This record gives sequence, C-alpha cells and structure tokens, in this order.
Amino acid sequence: MAGIFSTVKRIYLAIYNWAVFSGWLQVLIFAIKALNESGPAAVYDNVEKPLQLAQTAAILEIIHGLIGLVRSPVSATLPQIGSRLFVTWGILYSFPETRTHVLVSSLVISWSLTEIIRYSFFGMKEALGFTPSWLLWLRYSTFLLLYPTGITSEVGLIYIALPYIKASEKYCFRMPNKWNFSFDYYFASIGVLGIYVPGSPHMYTYMLGQRKKALSKLKAA
Amino acid sequence: MKVTLVSRSGREVVKGGIELEDSATVKDLQEAIHARTKKYYPSRQRLTLPAKPGVSARPVVLNPKSKVLDFCEKGNSDNLTVLFKDLGPQVLYSTLFFFEYLGPLVIYPLFYYLPLYKYFGYADTDRTIHPVQTYAMYYWCLHYSKRILETFFVHRFSHATSPLSNVFRNCLYYWTFGAYIAYYVNHPLYTPVSEIQWKIGFAFGLLCQVSNFYCHIILRSLRSPSGNGGYQIPKGFLFNIVTCANYTTEIYQWLGFNIATQTVAGYVFLVVATSIMTNWAMGKNRRLRKLFDGKEGRPKYPRRWVILPPFF
Repeated sequence: MAGIFSTVKRIYLAIYNWAVFSGWLQVLIFAIKALNESGPAAVYDNVEKPLQLAQTAAILEIIHGLIGLVRSPVSATLPQIGSRLFVTWGILYSFPETRTHVLVSSLVISWSLTEIIRYSFFGMKEALGFTPSWLLWLRYSTFLLLYPTGITSEVGLIYIALPYIKASEKYCFRMPNKWNFSFDYYFASIGVLGIYVPGSPHMYTYMLGQRKKALSKLKAA
Repeated sequence: MKVTLVSRSGREVVKGGIELEDSATVKDLQEAIHARTKKYYPSRQRLTLPAKPGVSARPVVLNPKSKVLDFCEKGNSDNLTVLFKDLGPQVLYSTLFFFEYLGPLVIYPLFYYLPLYKYFGYADTDRTIHPVQTYAMYYWCLHYSKRILETFFVHRFSHATSPLSNVFRNCLYYWTFGAYIAYYVNHPLYTPVSEIQWKIGFAFGLLCQVSNFYCHIILRSLRSPSGNGGYQIPKGFLFNIVTCANYTTEIYQWLGFNIATQTVAGYVFLVVATSIMTNWAMGKNRRLRKLFDGKEGRPKYPRRWVILPPFF
C-alpha cells in the first residue's frame, strides 16, 4: 500500500513540476520575443495568461507543504508565493497603468529564469530520481543575482502603483459601519513594502544557507 | 573538584576548567564562570549534563540551588563535564512586562486625546466623542495599569529573566495591536452600539478583571518568596474548576471590552490572544498532570476544564 502511494506521489509531483515548468518556459519565450519585436512596454500583454496560470499554480505548493507531500517549510514558501501573487494579481492585474513599465520586463525575466531552473530541478528529481550536478549548481547559484533583481522589480512596481491605488479606491472598505472596520488597500500596500525590509534579507540568507548545504553535499558525493 | 565547561561544538568555554570546593553549589559555579568569562553573567548561562550516547531523554539542567557534587557520576567526584549554552542577553521579566504594557497604556490615549486622524485623511471630519469611547479609554488604561502594578507587586516569576529579543517581539505585538484597536475605537466615524450593550460589556469585563486579579493573588501564594519555582496544584476560587482560571478571566475580560466597543480589530486581538493563552494553558495542564500523576504518594491532578469552559 505504502509503495503504491509513494509512486502515485512521485508521478503527481513529476507531472506538476514539468507542467509548471512549461508554463514558465512559455513566459520567458514570449517575453524575449516581445522585447525583440516591440520593446518593454509590450511584454506584459504577451505573457499575461501563462504568467497568471503558472504563478497561481504555486498555491498548490503551499498545500503540498502543509500536507507533508514535500519537505519545504511553509515559513519559506509562504512569503515568497504571497509576494508573487500580490504583485501578479494585486498590482499588475488590478492596475493596468503599471503594465508598460520597464520593471515588468526585469520582473518577468527574473521570475521565469528562476522558476524554469527550480521546476526542472524538482521535475527531474521526481521523474528520474536524480538531478545533474550542473542543474543543482544553477538552482543554488542563480538566486544570488535573480533574487535582488526580482525583489527590486517587485518593490519598484508596488511603489509606482501606489498613486494609482490611492486614486482608485479599489478593494477599500470604508467607515462608518456597525463593525467599525475598514480596509485601505493603499496602506496595506505600504505595509507589504514594509514587510520586504526584514523579509528580503531573511529569504536571501535562507537561500545562502541552503546553498551551503547543497553544494557541500555535492563535494562530499 | 574540577569542572570542565564545554560548548555544544566541543570547544572549551573556560580554558583549564574551573576549580571548586567539594561543597560548592551550582550557583557558586555560575559565579565562577562569570568571573572567568566576564560577559556571561549567571542568568545567561544554561548549564546541562552532556547527553549520554544513545540516550535521548531531555537534558538534565543544573539547578543553581543544588550542589555540584550531586551531578557527578558515582565514583568520579573529582571531575565533572558540563555543557554550556549562552542564552543571550537577558532582561528581568518585570522589565519585559513593563515595556510591553507601557506601550498600550500610552498609545491608546494618544488616539483619544490628540487630533491624529487628520494624518489619516480625516482632517475635515467633525468629531463628537460618544460616552462609550470615553469609558473604553478608562477601561483600557485601567487594564494596563493593573497589569503593570501586578508585574511589580503581585507576580512571582518562575524564571527571573527572559531573552532580550523577546522585548522586541512582545512590544511589537502589544504596541501594534494597541494602536490598531485604539485607531478604530476612537475614530471620528466610529459607530457605537446600544447603551445597554456597552453597559453590559463593561460591567462583565470589570467583573472578570477583578476575578483575574484575585486569581493572580492565589497564584502568588502558591509560590514561596524564595522563588523555589516548584509546582503545586492550584486551588481555590475558579481554580477548582479551571486549571488556568487566570487566562480564562483575562479572555472573558477582553470579550467584555469587545461587546462594549464592537470593532473587528478588537475581536481579531481577542482571537489571537486566546489562541496564545490556550497554547500556554495546554502546556501547563500537561506539566501539572505529568507531575501529579497520583503515583508514589503524589496527589493526582483532578479533572478540570483546562482553560475555556465549556469548550475545553
């Protein structure tokens, strides 16, 4: 019984990882194509659908962690996926004025490169039982550059969206009401920017620690 | 006798070890360590016996009151190896509590008295202060003043100190929630509930605060002034039916405040505080039941509600 379960788990995870991999590959290809043909302002329109699909699929990863299907701690995956979903849906989708900014290109390329490497890494592990050492190296090294570029793009886009958020009153719930409750999306977005201050070093040092562990295992092997 | 002090990584913390009289207590050892290492004052030291290979039991902590000799292995009373861990800079629990509670005590009246709402975009909103908002401010300040007074005059702490990092974490929690709730209850667009509702809310809350105070007095009498820190079965008043009656009364006290003031912010705080206290209560209940298992002449811990009748 246990043997069947772990095989099913492996097949499922292999399919999941390769499917999301192909989504991100599409994003990268369309982005580069748009950059070549039209320039940065056109990137978003060309990648919107695969981007939304691939990024939103990552919610499954939180569930995988919660039910113990994978070992990644929820404390590391939740902030990363949270910020991605916020930028994808809460900023780019909700405020079209941001879509033509050049930071969208750097965002999309940073995200898609990182994810292509990551999902193929896990996809190979599940499907073939091992990963080639060059892929392991890529997975634990490209973040050194792509985390800063990705985070800068995310923070930058949230920041330039702020005036549009304030003016639009979107997602806001106002007083007076009998539950004396309010929600201001503008302040919430500023709050999210605040979270990046401790959050970014936390994620970066976490990955540095993971890199050390992974690469030393490689040496030992 | 000689004590060899090692860190978890095997490094000798004090070169050459520490020479002690055979009659020395662990407290003497701690002071000797402090004298040799300067920065590790006693409350920062965590001293345990090294784990025996293959044994996965919880490490034996060296109690300051015990004699060092008690921890030596039979037949080897000249040498002892002790594991050292630095707990980091420590503050007194009373210091920690004072700063946690000072924040809400000061921040809340700021929202009541000062024209802060113009910075949130409400410059031209007229503000009529409803009676319930005034009573809420008195109630809140009474609550946190009570907490500060209890910290200095009532509570007996099981550990004298807490890590410094807890000051930042706890202050963040209390001060942020304090500001969050104060913002809504004192808001110029605040909608009060009916008079009968807030009167009942505050009356119930006050009753619970008084009960809570009495619970703290009872808990104080369970601990001897010399701070032995030993556990006893709490009894008397509500403790006869609830293990953590002090938490129960605290939770219901906040419920009273929320019934009176009705804000989502207040209820969010109630839920978070309740879950934290419930966690503590389950741990305490587990410890008490383990300690008072009815064996070897020890009394058996009676069946009681843990924290929140009628739920558990």
